[in-house]
Amino acid sequence: MSRRAHQKTSPSAGVWLLGAFLVLGGLGAFFLQKDTNPYRTVEPLKPSDYLENANSLRGNVYRLEGMISGSLGWSQEKGRLFSLRVSQGDKDFPLPILVPSAFREINLQKGQRYRLKARVNEDGLLQIEDMTKA
Amino acid sequence: MLSLNSVTLTVPSAEAPLLSDITLHLPGGHFGAIVGPSGCGKSTLLKAIAGILPHTGGSIHWQGRDLNEHDLAPHELGYVPQFTCAHPALTVGENIHYAARLRLADSKQNIQALVERVQAEVGLTDLHDRRASVLSGGQLRRLGLAMELTTNPNLLLADEVTSGLDPKSEEEIILLLAQLARHTGRLILLVTHSLRFLGEYDSVTVLTQGRLAYAAHPDMLASYFGVSSPEEVYPTLGQKEPDEWSAEWSASPNELGFEVESTLEDLTERMFSDQETEIIPLPGFWSQSTTWLTRRLKLFFRDRTQTCLQGLLLFAFPVVVTLFAYQGLPAVRNMSMGSDADVVQQLKETLAFTVQSSRTGTLVSGLAMFQVILLALMGSNNSAREVVGDRAVLEKEKLAGLRPGAALAGMTAFLFLLVLVQSAWMTLFVRAVCQFPGDLLAQWMPFALVTASMTTLCLAISSWATSGEQSSLGSLYLVGFQLPLSGAILALPEFLGWGVRPLISAYWAWSGYLQTLRDTRFYDLVRAITETPLAGGQISAWMLCLHLGVGLLAAYLGIRRSDWR
Repeated sequence: MSRRAHQKTSPSAGVWLLGAFLVLGGLGAFFLQKDTNPYRTVEPLKPSDYLENANSLRGNVYRLEGMISGSLGWSQEKGRLFSLRVSQGDKDFPLPILVPSAFREINLQKGQRYRLKARVNEDGLLQIEDMTKA
Repeated sequence: MLSLNSVTLTVPSAEAPLLSDITLHLPGGHFGAIVGPSGCGKSTLLKAIAGILPHTGGSIHWQGRDLNEHDLAPHELGYVPQFTCAHPALTVGENIHYAARLRLADSKQNIQALVERVQAEVGLTDLHDRRASVLSGGQLRRLGLAMELTTNPNLLLADEVTSGLDPKSEEEIILLLAQLARHTGRLILLVTHSLRFLGEYDSVTVLTQGRLAYAAHPDMLASYFGVSSPEEVYPTLGQKEPDEWSAEWSASPNELGFEVESTLEDLTERMFSDQETEIIPLPGFWSQSTTWLTRRLKLFFRDRTQTCLQGLLLFAFPVVVTLFAYQGLPAVRNMSMGSDADVVQQLKETLAFTVQSSRTGTLVSGLAMFQVILLALMGSNNSAREVVGDRAVLEKEKLAGLRPGAALAGMTAFLFLLVLVQSAWMTLFVRAVCQFPGDLLAQWMPFALVTASMTTLCLAISSWATSGEQSSLGSLYLVGFQLPLSGAILALPEFLGWGVRPLISAYWAWSGYLQTLRDTRFYDLVRAITETPLAGGQISAWMLCLHLGVGLLAAYLGIRRSDWR
C-alpha cells in the first residue's frame, strides 16, 4: 500500500477519460439529434416523383429541405403559396408549398433555407404541417 | 518511537541507492539532528520517514506500526519543508488560522484560541497582524513551525529550517525546537548541514552518500571520528568509502547507540499512552472547500496585479468586440418575393443580396466567434497557473490532511465566480452596444459554458504541468487552436470536421450562440456564408458541459497525484 504522500495516477486514467468523453458525446449526439433534424423519422420526398404525378401522392406526409425562391400567391383562408427550390442529386427542382394561416407568424424571405414536414393535400399541393430553419 | 530497519531507497534514474541500509531507533521526547555533507541523503531520509519518497527496502515503524500498512495520520505528522508554506499576502495570524481550519474540525472560538496559543509557543504573538511578506527569515521559519503545531503532532520533521539564517536566529530556532521536544514529549528531527549548537541535540545522525555513519549522542561525535572538533567530521568522511563507515558503525559497541531495550520500554509506554491519545478528526469536505475558497478570495483581492489584470480584461475585451459594430448591426434588405421583375433586375438583386450576406453574415459570425475566443482567453488566464504556481504548498497541505477534491471544489468555486462575471458582462455589453436580437439567457449560456470549459481544461493543464511556463504554453496552444479548428473562418474538410469538431469548445459555443439568432435574418445570412454545419443549441450545451466535466476530472487526477519537486 502506498504512503499517503505518494499517490500515483494510473496511466490508463487518461484512456478511460477519453473513452468516457467519446461515449457520452456520442450518446448525446444520438439522443439530441432531433434538435437539429426533427423530422428524421419522416420519409423524404423525391422532387422528381412529385412533379411526375403529385395526385398519386395525395394524403402522404414527407420531409424536405430547400430554399425559398419566391412568393406565388396569398389567400386569407388558405394561406401563402411559395416556390421552394429543392435539390435532388445535382439538379434543383422548384416545388410549390402552401403555408397555412396557422404559420402566419413566420416571416418567409427569399433565400432562406427550411426543413419542412409537408402533406400532399387534396389539390396535390405540398401543405406545410411543420417547418424549421435549416 | 521511530524505528527504521535497513531502510533503502533506490530510484531508476540514479546508479547508487539514495539511502542504503539505514537502521535507526529514536524515542519520543527527543530532539535529533540529521547531518552530513550536501547530497548525502539527509532530506531524502526525512522524506522517506514522511512518506513523500517511498522507500524500496526495509521498514519504517512508528509507535509499533508499519507505516507502509498503517500510515501516519495527518494530525500525527508535522513536516516543515525548506520552502515556506505561508502565503506572503496573509498575516501571521491568518496563515496559522487557515492552516488550522484546513486540518481541524473545531469551532471558531477554539481555533482562535489555538492560533493564539501556537503563536505564543513560537514567539510570534507580537507579529500577529504582520504580513508574511515582510517577515525575516527566522520569523518565516517560526511561522512554518507554528502552522505545523496546530495539530499538536507527535512527530515533527524539519528540513533545513535553519539554512540561511544568521547564527543568532539559528540558535533561537534550535532552542525553540529543543524546548518543544522536551516539554511536549514529541520526537523532533531536524535536517541541517550546520554543526553548530550540537549540545542542544539529544542525538546526531550522520549520513554519507546515503549510508549511516553515526547515530548517537553528540558529545561522542568528535571522538568517534577521531577529530578534535565536530567541524572536522565532514572532511574526515571523505577519507573512507561510505560502505566502510556504515560497516564500522554497524560493528560499533551498543552503548554508543540507543539500546533496543530502552526503545522497547518506550514502545510499551507509548502503547498504553496511545489509548489516551486524542484522535483529531479532519474537517469535512465542504468545510475544507469553503476554507480554501475564502482564503483564495482574500488572496485574490490583496493581489493588486491580479485584480487589475482581471479588471482590464473584463472591461477591455468587450469594448474591443464592439469596435466592429459600435453603431449596431446593419439592417438587412430582403430580396423581393415576386417574380415579375425582369431577369437582369433579379440578377442585380441577387448580387446585392449576396454582397450583403457576405458583409453582414461575416460580421455577425465574426462578432460571435470573437466573443467566444476572448472569453476562452479569459478562461485560460483564470486558471493556467492556479495549481502549478503553488504546487509545493498544495502538496504540503495535502500531507497535512487537505483532501484533493476539497481543494478542487474550492478552486472551482472561485474560478466559476470569475466565469460568471466575465461571461455575463461580455454578453450584456456587446448585446447592448451592437443590439443583438434574441433571448439574453440563451445567449449568455454558451458563453458561460465555453469560459467555464476553457477554465477547467486549463486548470487540468496546470495540475499536470511541471512548471508555470509549461502550463502557460499548453493553455496558449489550447486557446490558439480553437479559432482555426472551429470552422468559423474556414470550413474543415468533411472527413476531418467530424473528428475534430467535437473537441473544439469554440465551435460549440459559436454554434450555440448563433442558434439564438435562428428566428432572425442574421441567421440566414450567416448560413449563406458558412459551409460549416451549425450544431443545435441543446447538443452544443451538452458538448460544452462534457468538456467542462473532462477538465474537472483531469484536474482532480492531476491534483490528487503526488508531485513533490
